Amino acid sequence: MFKKTTLAASVIMMSITAAQAEGPYRIGITQNNVGVDSYQTTYESAFEAAAEEAGNVDIVVLDAGGDVARQIGQMQDLIQQQVDAIIIWPTNGQAVIPAIRQAHQAGIPVVVTNSKIAEAGLEFIAAFSGPDNVQQGISSAEMMCDALGGEGQIVQIAGQPGYTTAMERSTGFEERLAEMCPGVELLETQPGNWNRERAQRVMEDFLTKYDRIDGVYSGDDNMGVGALNAAKGAGRADEIVFIGATNFAVGYDAIERGEYYGSIYQSPVDDAEAALQTALDVLAGEEVPKMNFFETPKITAENLSEFDRPVF
Amino acid sequence: MSFLSAQGILIFFLLGMFVFSFFSEQFLSQSNIMTVVRQASIIGIIAVGVTVVIIGGNLDLSVGSMLSFSTVLVVDLHDKVGPTMAILMMFALTLMLGAVNGILIGFLRLNSLIVTLAMLSAIQGFVLIYSGGQNVDIANQGGTWFAFFGRGYLAGIAVPILLFGLLAILVQVVMSYTSYGRRIFAVGGNPMAAVYSGIRKNWCVFSTYLISAFCVACAALVLGSRVMGSQNNVGQGYELLVLAGIILGGTSLLGGAGSIWKTVIGVLILGFIQNGLLLMGYPYYIQWIVTWGIIILAVWLDLANKRKRLLTTHS
Repeated sequence: MFKKTTLAASVIMMSITAAQAEGPYRIGITQNNVGVDSYQTTYESAFEAAAEEAGNVDIVVLDAGGDVARQIGQMQDLIQQQVDAIIIWPTNGQAVIPAIRQAHQAGIPVVVTNSKIAEAGLEFIAAFSGPDNVQQGISSAEMMCDALGGEGQIVQIAGQPGYTTAMERSTGFEERLAEMCPGVELLETQPGNWNRERAQRVMEDFLTKYDRIDGVYSGDDNMGVGALNAAKGAGRADEIVFIGATNFAVGYDAIERGEYYGSIYQSPVDDAEAALQTALDVLAGEEVPKMNFFETPKITAENLSEFDRPVF
Repeated sequence: MSFLSAQGILIFFLLGMFVFSFFSEQFLSQSNIMTVVRQASIIGIIAVGVTVVIIGGNLDLSVGSMLSFSTVLVVDLHDKVGPTMAILMMFALTLMLGAVNGILIGFLRLNSLIVTLAMLSAIQGFVLIYSGGQNVDIANQGGTWFAFFGRGYLAGIAVPILLFGLLAILVQVVMSYTSYGRRIFAVGGNPMAAVYSGIRKNWCVFSTYLISAFCVACAALVLGSRVMGSQNNVGQGYELLVLAGIILGGTSLLGGAGSIWKTVIGVLILGFIQNGLLLMGYPYYIQWIVTWGIIILAVWLDLANKRKRLLTTHS
């Protein structure tokens, strides 16, 4: 139903204005795991809305359900269908490279969205569009340094082991912290698997293990709020600074209540719109930077009011 | 049967605690022990129910998805209809899922491994549709009495631990001292003989799935209240941890034997291993390898022990 309207809309647009000479384009997107994670679910609806807004796009939306083999199959389907461009949210930054190369050889430009692929695949893509996770880690480290006044000991709850996003945030955080804030010691890092309950358990163990914890850095707010819950349970929340990333609604509220120091604002809507725009720019033959990062600003109590409460 | 082989798992447990206490000062502190037991109580509560299913000669792999379902449901309904109604509706719907398992396995006599594996996926799909892929959160994180189940204390003991303890004692008593309990053992041990002795096997099997679902609902109450929110895949992998605890406790997967008490010990061992390794600073991967290594070891010891017993009775 929706796609029919999109198509109809684009046909009408075509007939009305000759300026819309380019298109209608057919863009295929294969996502990682819609419906399981709030961010991706919001991304998908934002992507569809953006495509409708753009008017001259007909989209084919696929989801790999986290399965690399299925995603490679979907890439081949899209190549078969001879879409004008492919947007891929890689399930695995290494395993999808052969499929991306295939598309490249078939003359179909590929835009990688949200999560990076391995270095070896970069020559086959038209552009990457997404958040700069290393920069996010850097921003979080800077906030931590400010919040602690350059002195203290902290722990880290990282995302899912093996995820590029998790590793990039950790790397950015750790390197920037060491460089900017040698007085802040990172005691230990354990994965929280993007899972609040798991993060809560890890933090409980940290609280047992360390008599003094001045700060916690979490790979996303969902885990950060789990850590906050644990510290509240132990009656130690007041002495700890909490800093996260990917601002979730619960994190936003916690900042508002003054329980959480800060986070990184990363909107799935911006992410989806940036991906579509990048693909359209590529198709229009415009010069597009290879690494196309959208803005992910720091968010703290001071500038909270400038941002909408996240929908996820 | 010597005391050593009967209580082998308990001795193993005490030995493990002893070893860990050398590596970490805090390991045997009262607060750490309380933390571990509280963390283990969610898996423990579910394991109590699944042990009953296994004693009755079947398996329940759907508990992980069912936990996601029940937790998402109770958290989502909390803000819509209030805590009391949310809890009641969650229990009712979770028991209905248990009844579906029970009908398919008890009355239609389908293989429990296949049915509960299918239910694992089906329920997860249902959760994703229900939640629209979004996490659910209780808006007022601080001010609702719903927090009691996961964060509250009664007489100085954390409520999750109390719930776990109460359920374990209750079910252990039922299994050991009532005719209902004996019938479950009989059905799991030798179904044909049980039927010939007039036990209504279908009903017995059906009821074990209701007990399992009830325990999952209790666990969801604790989990939802502890986290004050839920991810839609929060229970993923719990079925394996639950099974791990039960196997470590020495309950045979073949049915007809086992005890809740040993499951409790098994679940605690699991909790203390993970906590101990984390306190020692080992990364997550090592925890998994060690945990499953120990489980394989436990199964092997159990089997070796049974073989020996078999040989001595025949010679």
